[in-house]
Amino acid sequence: MMLKLEGMSKHFGGVKAVDDVSLTMNEGEIFGLIGPNGSGKSTTINLITGLYAPTSGTVSLEGRDLTALAQHERTALGVARTFQNIRLFGNLSVAENLWVAQNGHKQRRQHFISRWFKAGGLQDTNIDELLRFSRLHSKKDSLASALSFGEMRRLEMARALASNPKVLLLDEPAAGASIEDGQLLGERIRAVRDRGVSILLIEHMMELVMGITDRMAVLNFGRKIAEGTPSDIQSNPDVRAAYLGTKNKNKEPADA
Amino acid sequence: MDYYFFIDLIQSLVDGLLFGTTYALIGIGFTLIFGVMRKLNLAYGAAALAGTYVGLAAAFVTPLPPILVFFVSALGSGIIGYIVYLGCFRYTPSSHPMAALLASVGMLLFIDELVIHLSHGMPYPYPSVLRNAEITLGEIWIRGDMLFVFGICVLAMVILYWLLYRTSLGLATRAVSQQPRAAQLCGIPTGQVNALTFVISGVLGGTAGAMTAAAVGVLSPIIAMSLTTKGLIVVVIGGLGSIPGAIIGGLMVGAAENVFQLLRGVTERDIYVMLLLFIFLTLRPGGLFGNTEGRD
Repeated sequence: MMLKLEGMSKHFGGVKAVDDVSLTMNEGEIFGLIGPNGSGKSTTINLITGLYAPTSGTVSLEGRDLTALAQHERTALGVARTFQNIRLFGNLSVAENLWVAQNGHKQRRQHFISRWFKAGGLQDTNIDELLRFSRLHSKKDSLASALSFGEMRRLEMARALASNPKVLLLDEPAAGASIEDGQLLGERIRAVRDRGVSILLIEHMMELVMGITDRMAVLNFGRKIAEGTPSDIQSNPDVRAAYLGTKNKNKEPADA
Repeated sequence: MDYYFFIDLIQSLVDGLLFGTTYALIGIGFTLIFGVMRKLNLAYGAAALAGTYVGLAAAFVTPLPPILVFFVSALGSGIIGYIVYLGCFRYTPSSHPMAALLASVGMLLFIDELVIHLSHGMPYPYPSVLRNAEITLGEIWIRGDMLFVFGICVLAMVILYWLLYRTSLGLATRAVSQQPRAAQLCGIPTGQVNALTFVISGVLGGTAGAMTAAAVGVLSPIIAMSLTTKGLIVVVIGGLGSIPGAIIGGLMVGAAENVFQLLRGVTERDIYVMLLLFIFLTLRPGGLFGNTEGRD
């Protein structure tokens, strides 16, 4: 397996934001993670990238335990993410944004002087390829803050890809996009997967999630209430209850 | 307006603009640190002054040419900048922004007391160059030592721009100042970038301190107060976080100071300069180049 979460919990005081969640993502898979607002999706991403230390549980990448590693170490091993609210380096050019992502973790291994004071040298064939892949080549010298909303989203994804990840975590990439944009986005996500990157997709736009994921899991109140193929999920009564409300509030969520 | 007053006014403006580059450097230092840390380092002016004393102390130990005294001053201030970072910013909790601010106020007073103690509160002569040279342009004359001060400060700014826009450190610094969280995820060692920013700001501050002392020919502990207040006025005018703003702000404060001195005398001039602070804070709190854009 590619990415594995075992018994992952994160409690903030008395709030169980994520509660005993286990997930297994296979290599080359597009895995969806859905759930109502506040169900623990973003906390799960933050646990995988290492922003939060879990209350209990472990996360591993290709069998290697990541739980004790810092965020940048996980980046270097192949975990990358995009942000729901775009966090580009707005005062850097498009190419510079990619350069920082590609070289940030390499720089750590270099000698102090060559790490910081080696001048210039932004030319890079990988960056050029990534710019073309993301249809941003004509904008490579524009400031990131001057891009259109759609271009910013593409740059966010390109920046995540620049660190050469094995797993890409997409945090609501369709937020603010129309349904037609969502379909284009679906094609782009597939294209990324075809580059050999496994994808964990957190999304509210059901058409997108149901359309492109191989498997998916559903969170509700921090717990995993279902897992399976999109058609399994669509017919799952617990999922319907979580999204539409249920009369029987005491009903225990079923473990899938 | 009679002719001689007009000449005096131009002369004051020219002197003010030349000397204003030292204020610009101090403003840039405040701005750089604020850029990456989003915190004000109030110990900055005092650290710059202490660094200037390091250069003077080196000259006491072994005779040095003026240029080397300036260089050691700048370097010393860079090292003190790093100590300020360790003492006030590195280990103070980021969840309490006031902790770092108050620590830097404590550091300001601490450094000030230390300098007064070690120097016995006495002013010392500080070397300067081109003291007797001058250039005459019609009725206006430009002092050689002021021109030197101007040249060194501009050189420092050029080197800073080279660092920021032509090296990987500059790229990392700009990335951290925009999006620290994303920068960290990209693998940038943000702690090291922050530390280096304090060192670089310190070197700029030490250069400004050395040039201030060289312009008057005397180094005294009271310069710390002037560096701190003028630096803060510069960033209020230019907009905290903007380097071009700090440069314009520095030149404006330098020019305004000299014009007020011409109009109202040396004891009154700082009153009017301080008034500029309140005018800007009320009418244009973001400064000339301030950006209202937030970050996380």
